[in-house]
Amino acid sequence: MFKKLLSLPYALFMLLFVLLPLALILVFAFIDASDGSFDMLANFKELAKEDALGKVVKNSFIAGFSTSAICLLIGYPIAYYLTKKEFNKKGVMIGLFIAPMWVNFLLRMMATKAVFSVLNVKLGMGTVIFGLTYEFLPFMIMPLYNTLLKIDKSYIEGAGDLGATPTKAFWKVTVPLSMPGILSGLTMVMIPSITTFAVTEIMSNGKMMLLGDFIYSLKADSLNMAATISFVLLLFMIASMAITNKYDKDGKGGRLW
Amino acid sequence: MVRKILVKTFIAIVLIMLYLPIVWMIVFSFTDTPSFSNWNGFTFDNYINLFTGQSKNAELIQSALLNTLFVGFFVSLLSTILGTLGAIGLHAIHNKRIKAAYSTVNQIPMINSEIVTAIALALVFNLFASTFKINDGSWGMTAFKLILAQTSFCAPYVLLNVLPRLQKSDNKIYEAALDLGCTPAKAMFKVVLPDILPGIVVGALLAFTLSIDDFVITKINVTSFDTLSTMLYGLKNGKHPLPADIRALFTIIFFIVFALMMVLYSPRKKTEKDK
Repeated sequence: MFKKLLSLPYALFMLLFVLLPLALILVFAFIDASDGSFDMLANFKELAKEDALGKVVKNSFIAGFSTSAICLLIGYPIAYYLTKKEFNKKGVMIGLFIAPMWVNFLLRMMATKAVFSVLNVKLGMGTVIFGLTYEFLPFMIMPLYNTLLKIDKSYIEGAGDLGATPTKAFWKVTVPLSMPGILSGLTMVMIPSITTFAVTEIMSNGKMMLLGDFIYSLKADSLNMAATISFVLLLFMIASMAITNKYDKDGKGGRLW
Repeated sequence: MVRKILVKTFIAIVLIMLYLPIVWMIVFSFTDTPSFSNWNGFTFDNYINLFTGQSKNAELIQSALLNTLFVGFFVSLLSTILGTLGAIGLHAIHNKRIKAAYSTVNQIPMINSEIVTAIALALVFNLFASTFKINDGSWGMTAFKLILAQTSFCAPYVLLNVLPRLQKSDNKIYEAALDLGCTPAKAMFKVVLPDILPGIVVGALLAFTLSIDDFVITKINVTSFDTLSTMLYGLKNGKHPLPADIRALFTIIFFIVFALMMVLYSPRKKTEKDK
């Protein structure tokens, strides 16, 4: 009993600073920003009037999808080959791919921007996607690496014994078995890259905004409006969490550290 | 054979892309030019000026560094206390529903998009400030707010680092201590804590690192209070976003974090071997 009671401070803290805040998003999304009255639709109507929003959503989807696709295309082969001993002696290589995450991302973005300016690269959507890929690649590699490492090699050998070429065995056995990792990696790259804040601003020299930057700009005028978009994002997140949980029963795929 | 060379080349190219900006910054921290482009001779001046307080952004760096370390220390302390107690309590609870509730709540700060967490916390602080009529603009209140905000996403990491230690340790020793006349509190300090200490240390270091690295939640919940991250953000619009003294400062931080990571990851490797 004594031990159980020890978890109370933690539970109370999480209630106040994790659950209550999320509940407040639900509440404030439906409180009219202009007069403080309860109104299911007022904030959403107001949002629809924002001219910038259409462009922000379009840019966010372009950037989010391209970043996820590029991260998957680069991340899958890297994760795949790093599960093999010949390329990843003592697990050092995988560490090298994760380590940049521990350098402050603003610093990495500003350094990248400075390198781009030395190389005379024009800043725009291309550099934004480069920055986002740089930022979120480890989030793709890690779940893929964990899932690929767990695949029982005898399945692949079995496919070979039954006459499949290595290429065919890869597409018919390895890829389907690594699906939980792919999904987990995609969610861990897609949502953060759409909602990230500051990366776009730095990598496009302030010319472009994604949803995260947009929420930040709204926050100055009205927390209610920021809460309204956050509410929509929250719904997306719950949906994607539900999908990933369905495929990733033990929940290990997504853990980074 | 050809395939092996191709794969190695691919891995090398991606690694070069990842490390080029960082290495470039470290190299240029040893020369005294505002930009990254022209090399102006090797010098330690950037580092010397940093420590003697004579560099261009000295005041900014000093206050940001102090704020960051102050907040980081208390976030680490509070997260460690809450997370460790939470883990001990959670480990003793056998009700499946309560366990599931805990693990869901723990996941939220890790999965939730940072900007949503930040806005949600801003709503709570607004609510508290208006309910209790607190003027939250002072340095103390700002630091307090930041400590609470960052602890909300750091404490779960401590809990998740301590929990596996508890699962491995033998509960019979704690019970034996009770049988031999220890009070539960004394048994906790003399038996349980030493057993899970490695997990607590790793959790505390992780919380500290996460705290000093945080930008989004910090930026949205503070005004006129600079941490190292928000200081960098403030410099982004300058003609040369990474001036010489800033490069030197972050080179030092890079190597400290690098050393911290070595400490963080080495005990984990040992426990993997134990299995």
